Amino acid sequence: MRNGLIALTALAVLLTSTLVGQRVAPAANVTEVLIGSVLPLTGNFAALGQQYQWAAQTVEDIVNNDYPDLQVPLGPGKGFPGLGGAPMKMIIRDDQSRGDLARTIVEQLISVNKVHFINGEGTSGTTSLLQPVLESAGIPMACHACASPTLTEKGFKWFWRTGPNDKTMVASVFSFLKEWREHGGPGDLKTIALFTCDNLFCQDNRKVATDLAPKAGYQIVLDLTTKTGATTLASEVQRLQAANPDVLFSVQYPAETVVFENDAKRAGWLPKVIATSNGAYSDETWLQAQKKTNGAAGWLGRDPTAIDLVHQRPSWQKVNQIYKKYSHGLNMGELAMREITGLLWMVDVINRAKSVDPAVLQKTANETNMGPEQLIIDYKGIRFENGQNVLATGVVTQVGWDGEKHTVWPWDLAAKANFKPVFPNPSWQERDSKPKPAS
Amino acid sequence: MTLLVQAVVNGLQMGFLYALVAVGLTIIWGLMEMINFAHGEFLMLGMFGAWWLSATLGLDPLLGMVPIGLAMYGFGVLVYRQLMRRVQRGDPFTQIFATIGLLFLLQNGVVAGFTSDYRFVQDSVLTRLSGAKLQVAGITLGVPLMLAAALALVLFMALYLLIDRTEFGVALQATSEDREAAMLVGIAPQRMFAVAWGLGAALVAVAGAILANFFAVYPQVGLQFTVLAYAIVALGGFGSILGTLLAALLIGVVQSVTVVYLPPAFKDAFVFGSYVLIGLLRPQGLFGRF
Repeated sequence: MRNGLIALTALAVLLTSTLVGQRVAPAANVTEVLIGSVLPLTGNFAALGQQYQWAAQTVEDIVNNDYPDLQVPLGPGKGFPGLGGAPMKMIIRDDQSRGDLARTIVEQLISVNKVHFINGEGTSGTTSLLQPVLESAGIPMACHACASPTLTEKGFKWFWRTGPNDKTMVASVFSFLKEWREHGGPGDLKTIALFTCDNLFCQDNRKVATDLAPKAGYQIVLDLTTKTGATTLASEVQRLQAANPDVLFSVQYPAETVVFENDAKRAGWLPKVIATSNGAYSDETWLQAQKKTNGAAGWLGRDPTAIDLVHQRPSWQKVNQIYKKYSHGLNMGELAMREITGLLWMVDVINRAKSVDPAVLQKTANETNMGPEQLIIDYKGIRFENGQNVLATGVVTQVGWDGEKHTVWPWDLAAKANFKPVFPNPSWQERDSKPKPAS
Repeated sequence: MTLLVQAVVNGLQMGFLYALVAVGLTIIWGLMEMINFAHGEFLMLGMFGAWWLSATLGLDPLLGMVPIGLAMYGFGVLVYRQLMRRVQRGDPFTQIFATIGLLFLLQNGVVAGFTSDYRFVQDSVLTRLSGAKLQVAGITLGVPLMLAAALALVLFMALYLLIDRTEFGVALQATSEDREAAMLVGIAPQRMFAVAWGLGAALVAVAGAILANFFAVYPQVGLQFTVLAYAIVALGGFGSILGTLLAALLIGVVQSVTVVYLPPAFKDAFVFGSYVLIGLLRPQGLFGRF
C-alpha cells in the first residue's frame, strides 16, 4: 500500500513537471523572441502607422545591438539576457487601416507565427476590435499610443497601455485653462466651443471635454462634430464665428485642420485661445509646415511629455539618433516617443519574465514597477492598474513664434521651460506679417 | 440672412472646386460610359505632381499644371491601351474591379515611394493669397477660391467647345452612342476611347494641381473627392458638361447651407439625399438625356 502511494505520488510529480515543462518554455529553449505588430501602414491612418513602424524598428535595433551607454531597458548588450541572449524579431503587418483585416492578421500572428506578445494597432477603434481576440487566445497585447479610456475599462486581463489615456490628457488641458488665471493668465475666458471629428478617438475626447469644461468654469456655447475627410468646413467656421467662443477645443486630423485653417483665414476669424488634443497637433509634418506660415503659433495642446525639456535627456538623444536611421531623418515626435517607451517596456517584461509563456508574461507585466530614469519620456514611471499605466502623465504645450512646442503646464515643468505663453491667439494678419521660423 | 447668403456664396466657391474634380469624370464616365474608380487617384497624382514640382523645382502649381496635364494625358492613354481596352469587352463588373485594382496599385505605389506623410504646397501664388478677400455687402469672397473658380470655368468652357463644337467632339459622341456606326463613317473607336481617357486623366490631374493649394497632399486624399465626383456627374446628367457644372454648384451649396442650420453629420446625407430625390423625379439627371 505504502509503495503504491509512493509510486502514485512519483507519477503525479512526474506528470505535473512534464505539464509545467510544456507550459513554461525554459529560457534556454527560446531561440528568438517574436513580437507581432499589426499597424495601419496604408489607408487612412498610414501617417500614424509609419511612425509606429519606425519606432518598432528602433526598438528591434536597440535590443539586437549593443548600446553600452544607452540607459533604457535592454540598451546595453545584445538580445535578451534573461533568455540566454535570444534576439528579438519584430513581425510587422499592414492592416490597411481596416479593422476586419487587423483581426485576421492578429489571428494569423497567433496561430501561424506563434508570436509571444502583440503590439498594435495604434488606433483605439481597431484596437478595441482586437482585444476580444487576444483575450480568448490568452496572449498579451499592448497599445501605447491608443488613448481611448474605454480600452482599459472593460476588464480585459491581457491588455496593457503604457501611455496616458484621453481622460488624463484632456484633463491636463482643462487643468491648465482652469489654473491659468491664477498664474498670470487672462481672467476673462468664459466660453468654449467643441470642434471634433466623428471617429471613436475624437468622440472620446469630446465626451471628456463635455464633462470637464463646466467644471473648469467654461460654458459650452457650441458643440460641433464634423465628418472625417471633410472637403470644406466653411459653414462650420461660420457657426463658430457666430457663437464667438473664447476658447476653441479642436480635435481634428491634419487634413481637416488644414481645411479649417483655410476657411477660418478666409472668414478672418480666430478665437482668443485654440486648445487641441492630439490630431494635427501631434503630427510632425503638420507642425513643420506651419513653420512657413506661423500657422500654429499660439496653438496649445496636450502632450504626453514635455517635448522641449525631454530633448535634454541623454537617452532621448541617443534613441533619437537610432530612430532617425529609419525615419529618413525625422526626429521622434511624441507619438513615436510613446510607442518606443511602450515597446521598451514590453521587451523589459519578457526579459524579466525569463520566459515567453503567456501566463508568466501576464504576471510579470502586472508586477511592473519601473522608475522614470529608464524612460525616454517624462512619465512618472510605469505601474499598472487594470492594464492602465497610472504613472503616465500629460503635459500642456504651446507652439511659440519659433514654431516649436514649449511646456506651459504643469507649472513646475513650465517654470523649467521658462516660456511666456502667447496670448491672445495672434490674428491672421499678425501671423502673415511676423517672420516665419522656416523662411 | 447674411449667414445664409454667406453660406450660399461659400457653397458656390466650393462647388467650382468640385466641378474641377468632376470634369475629367464627365468624359470618361459621363460621355464614354466607362467606369473609373481610380479617378480620385488620378487627382491624387496631380496633387503629388504639383507638390513635387513646387518642393523640388520651385515651380508654382499654376505653371506646374501644364507638364502635369501633359504627363497625365499620356498616363490616361496608357491606362486605356494596357488595361481598359481589354476589360472593356467584358462585363461592367470587370471594369469596376480593374479600376479598383488600379486604385490600390496607385495609392500603395505612392505610399511606397513617398510615404503617407501629409505634405503641403507652400509659397505658391494661391497660398500667398490665402488671406486675401473681397467684401461685398458684408459678404466675404476668398480671392484664391475665386481664381480657382475662374480656372474651372475656363476648363469647362474649353471642354464644352471641344465636345460640342468640333469634329473631334462629334466623333467622340458618336463613338459613345454607337461604336459600329462610328466605324462605318471612318472613326477609329479605340483611338477615341484612348483620347477620352487621356483627356479625363489630364483634366482631373490639372484639378489636382489647383487643389494642392487648398488641401493637404497625401496618398488617400482622392477618395473623399471621388465619391462627390460620381454624385455630381450622375446628378448633372450623363454626358452633359453644363449639367456637371451646375450639379457641382448645387452640391456645394447644399453642403454649405445644411451645416448652417443642422449638425454637420447631415452634410453628406443631404447631398446624397438630393441625388436620390432627383433620381426619383428625373432619373436621367438634371440635364441628361435617355
